Amino acid sequence: MNKRRHIISLVLLVVIVASSFTANLIAGNKPALGLDLQGGASVTLQPEGAFDKANLDVAVEIIRARVDSIGVAEPEIILQGGTVIVNLPGVKDQQQALDIIGRTGELLLRPVLQTGMLNENPSTTIAGDTTQDSTQDTKQPAVTDTVPVAGGPGSSRHINTSAATSTTVPVSASTTVPVLDSATVAPADDAAEPKVELGEDPNDPSQTVLLLDKQGIAYVVGPAGASGKVFKNDARADVQTGEWTVVVSLRDGADGDVQWNKMAADCFNRTELCPTGQLAMVLDGTVISAPTVNEPEFTGGSVQISGSFTADEARDLAKILEFGAVPVRFVVSQAQTVSATLGTDSLRAAIISGIVGTLLVLILLIAYYRLMALFVVAGMTISIALLWSLISVLSRTNGLALSLSGIAGIIVSIGIAVDSYIVFFERIKDEIRVGKTLKNSVIRSFESAWRTIVAADTVSFLCAAVLWFLTVGSVRGFAFFLGISALTDLVITYFFTRSAVLLFARSKRVQGKKILGIQTVKPEV
Amino acid sequence: MKNRFAGLGRLYRGETTFDFIGRRTIGFAISLLIVVAGAGSLLIQGLELGIDFRGGVAWEVPFDGQRGELADKNARAVLDANNVESTNAKIQFLTGTELQIMRVQVGDQTEQTRLAVQKSYAQLANVPVEDVSVASVSSSWGRSITEKALRALIVFFVIVSLYISWRLEWKMALTAIIAMAHDVIISVGVYSLLGFEVTPATVVAFLTILGFSLYDTVVVFDRVLENAKKFAASRQSFSNIANISTNEVLARSLNTTLASALPVVSLLVVGSFIMGAKSLEDFAVALLVGMIAGTYSSIFVAVPLLDVLKQNEPKYKPLKGQIAVGAAMSELMGHGDIKRLAVTKSSKSSSSATTETSLVTNEELIAQAEQRATSLLTHPPRPRKKRR
Repeated sequence: MNKRRHIISLVLLVVIVASSFTANLIAGNKPALGLDLQGGASVTLQPEGAFDKANLDVAVEIIRARVDSIGVAEPEIILQGGTVIVNLPGVKDQQQALDIIGRTGELLLRPVLQTGMLNENPSTTIAGDTTQDSTQDTKQPAVTDTVPVAGGPGSSRHINTSAATSTTVPVSASTTVPVLDSATVAPADDAAEPKVELGEDPNDPSQTVLLLDKQGIAYVVGPAGASGKVFKNDARADVQTGEWTVVVSLRDGADGDVQWNKMAADCFNRTELCPTGQLAMVLDGTVISAPTVNEPEFTGGSVQISGSFTADEARDLAKILEFGAVPVRFVVSQAQTVSATLGTDSLRAAIISGIVGTLLVLILLIAYYRLMALFVVAGMTISIALLWSLISVLSRTNGLALSLSGIAGIIVSIGIAVDSYIVFFERIKDEIRVGKTLKNSVIRSFESAWRTIVAADTVSFLCAAVLWFLTVGSVRGFAFFLGISALTDLVITYFFTRSAVLLFARSKRVQGKKILGIQTVKPEV
Repeated sequence: MKNRFAGLGRLYRGETTFDFIGRRTIGFAISLLIVVAGAGSLLIQGLELGIDFRGGVAWEVPFDGQRGELADKNARAVLDANNVESTNAKIQFLTGTELQIMRVQVGDQTEQTRLAVQKSYAQLANVPVEDVSVASVSSSWGRSITEKALRALIVFFVIVSLYISWRLEWKMALTAIIAMAHDVIISVGVYSLLGFEVTPATVVAFLTILGFSLYDTVVVFDRVLENAKKFAASRQSFSNIANISTNEVLARSLNTTLASALPVVSLLVVGSFIMGAKSLEDFAVALLVGMIAGTYSSIFVAVPLLDVLKQNEPKYKPLKGQIAVGAAMSELMGHGDIKRLAVTKSSKSSSSATTETSLVTNEELIAQAEQRATSLLTHPPRPRKKRR
């Protein structure tokens, strides 16, 4: 038949696997280890009550940003249905992990007292000594004054974002005494720079704090006047008069437009509460947007934020406003710390017993199938290299970690892989016994063995897929590796075992020899 | 069979002729016994669920075997000092050669309590606080895990039944699932009898058993289906087809089970007993029992049961109860082509003569076969077609 095809299939497979294996080695990709193998903290969160998928995404982003900010190596944040699993390898302190993750992200509306660039120029220093008492005091009376105003059926009013300069300034995050270049801001009350005491915790809504936005622009913001809950859950990004804008409705009542209008009035009038006229929307210590308020009162029931947005920026803002309206609260349903010693001990035990097990299997097969067992050894080597490459790549790109149950899945899959050879070889024995030549036996037995192998691997794969989609945690890790192994088995059987054994069966040297313990018939030429 | 090695040699060459179908009552009785024992233990003793399923807190304290301070009493004293109900606390000492762990499990606790107890245990064992592992699971989460696993199980059953029905046939799907249930009840029963704690790893093991059991049954059934096609023209009783198929895949089944079980045995012996990774032990035991049960059930439960379902099909009904054993089976399995044809012919004719003979003796069959073989070679003239 076509001998060339089999040689090509063999060579191609070996080259592909070998090159991907070496590429991974060179790139330094290694299978990432799960928590149970290297120690660390794991927290599983579940949203409380009803939640919105988009809002959950924002909540996960917040958690991700927090985890990134503390610099955990290879954190793993998995969103499965409503469940969020956060794995922090190397984090030993469960309390710390819970502190980072457990807090609920809240969108706060805070008046902007000052904006500017962080710079290292000490000439325009703000002395951070005296407390700005007035901020705290004047806050209270403002509430009593504001009454819901029955305005005309106005269209939605505008606030413009202060044209957020996209100048990215290198921000030295370690700057403890922030320095503001007040030249970019026009403080409303007086020429003298206000003296501000900055709170320690940027998330404390009752203090005046210094926050940054994503471009690195610094904002000194006052105590939060309201939270994102003043908005309804209907923020959307739209193109209006040729510009991307975000429109969101206000809730009615004391927790809604009353609060909002109070702040808006302060900002519009540039009182000392809000000297810049800007209202910052702060999520988890980051200024998302700080639009200038263009109306003293929003009677139309909705707010429109416009500025030089790109489509993506507008959509992101809408998403965050929506999240602010209905923040997702989590309950910790599982918290776990695994000590590093325990983890490494389990890992070593799993690896050593895996190696011993594989060796035992190979010894058994060599004793049983003799020469033919070489194909098993070669095939297993290729599948191990292929699996290793796949897992390494997935570890790098998808943050997949190899856990103890994953290793269990792989050990189980050794049996599945070996079974394919056994099915094939036993079939060859059947055919030879009937009196076929080796070549014909191999060709025929592959056909029927292949059907069996596909059926059996499909069942394994179905099992893995169902588990993957419907369960959580360690069962999922197991399912993943079981599924991958079933697929690898099919690839190796078709492209390696078939071609190799066929080529072997064609070779002149083995004709009429004893194969698999049975005398073969010499073909008549 | 002259001696054991002769038997092994025949197994190696795939020439065994065991009558699995004729003796199926023995297999069914053994299975029934074990299943009833397992189910009984499940009902009476139940399963001991780990904290992942019922919620609670577990601390794992590594310690040096010589240090006596971590005795049960001290562990409870720590709990008492932190106002944790200690009477229901479960304290285990897991001892391996390299690592010793004390595992303390109690019900749901607050975060502060968890930390306080962790610190106290670290002091007691004289290890850094980080070396004490803490796991806490809320009970609602545990419930949802259990529900999810059950849901996955049902979906899996449905999908696999559909797949096997499509790929093979519905009777095979039904028997495969019965055999699988058999395996799972046995493994879970063993778990319940031994009083092992059910952890997520155990669930993984049980699911693996499901997969493995089905996998093994599918391989055997695939051969049954193939042989059913092969013998379709020559009319064989389904029992014969089932027997032949089972004997043909016997070597493969035993080999695969050995090859699959070896890594698990290694996990148990090397990983758990020698190296002391106790987290692997329960898992490996469940897996081993399940694998053995899986192979056993494909041969002794699934195929005989399939025969029970199939032997009354119109196609096989007239031949019901005929089982060729020994040399006759060997003939049927195709050691010699012409004779095979002959035997099938003879069995057909004998069936019409003696309608409900349970066994056709070997000698009779062979004699018939030889007689037929000669007559087969001399073709009688084809009858002429009638002209209108």
